[in-house]
Amino acid sequence: MAEINTGGGGGHDGGKVRSKKQSTRVDMTPMVDLGFLLITFFILATTLSKPSSMTLNVPDKTKQEETEPIKASNVMTVFLGKDNKAHYIFGKAANEEPEVKTVGYGYEFRQAIQENARKVGGDKFVVVIKPTKESTYKNMVDVLDEMAITKTKRYALVDQLTPDEKTLLKDKVKIDA
Amino acid sequence: MTAMTDVAFLLLTFFILTAQFRAQDAASIETPSSISGIKVPDKNIMTIGLGKDGKVYFGIDNQQERMEMLENVAAAKGITFSPNEKKEFALMSNFGMPIAQLKQYLNLSKEQQAKIKQPGIPTDSTGAGANNELKDWVFNSRKANNDLRIALKGDNLAKFPEFKNVLATLQAQNINKFNLITGTEAPPAGWKAD
Repeated sequence: MAEINTGGGGGHDGGKVRSKKQSTRVDMTPMVDLGFLLITFFILATTLSKPSSMTLNVPDKTKQEETEPIKASNVMTVFLGKDNKAHYIFGKAANEEPEVKTVGYGYEFRQAIQENARKVGGDKFVVVIKPTKESTYKNMVDVLDEMAITKTKRYALVDQLTPDEKTLLKDKVKIDA
Repeated sequence: MTAMTDVAFLLLTFFILTAQFRAQDAASIETPSSISGIKVPDKNIMTIGLGKDGKVYFGIDNQQERMEMLENVAAAKGITFSPNEKKEFALMSNFGMPIAQLKQYLNLSKEQQAKIKQPGIPTDSTGAGANNELKDWVFNSRKANNDLRIALKGDNLAKFPEFKNVLATLQAQNINKFNLITGTEAPPAGWKAD
């Protein structure tokens, strides 16, 4: 196959019979085959790309810090619902019957964030992320990632829903939170 | 031919030298991806896995510390492990067994271990309950090595309440900063880090 035979092949030297010269070349095909087999194995068995990580800081539960109250109209509350859908409202769920908007994750969600951040004005804009029981870990990571992409500085991950929010979600988007 | 062989063996040498084998994991976890570019450290890391069925797995990177951690936990729970069992435990990069079943599991052969579906480490929603074993593992691993950083590796399909339990366990021990392990994804066009 890949053998290169350069020995012999003469015979134009006037009829003299010479002993045929033995080729000194070694057939390397099996060795190369084995080499590539090993390469393939090592490529597949190694982890070349190390996973990355995002940092998550949560507030200290043991310390009670007094923070400045935030104006409710600057707060966008995002509920992570089922079937990879997010629902968001502006202001409080309590008495003002806010409009619940539903978006998918990714581009739609990013646009909603950017639009609202512009409306409220960069520094005052606060996002509260409230995952419901129906949401998955991926949904949460996606939303946190969107915060990094849209460079939203003020956001909080809150795992408790108020009773008002629960009724709101039940009435408007049929989620039993 | 010779040139190709040379290149092939050069590549082979490179891959052999740079190889880092994938550790055998207790469960396959498919992580979500993010644009974050922070690499997960190799050393001094504690990994808490969250499988798609909500099972919790735990592991630390150093074998010596694994043994130390096991001894601490065993002493607290009143269980003794033989040197062989400890050695066996030190070889597991992560595990998801309740402590009561751990001894039995360690005495099984490799093939039998592979067959068993690990039930996951018990957690609870308050993070400090008597049955919460994750808190013991976290506490004792930090006792064995105080520099441990905490990485959470959750599956795409893991439900939020289970993640909340893990979060509560960590928060109950006043651990408020950790890393979420994610895959890498390209940021949208034109995006620049601050």
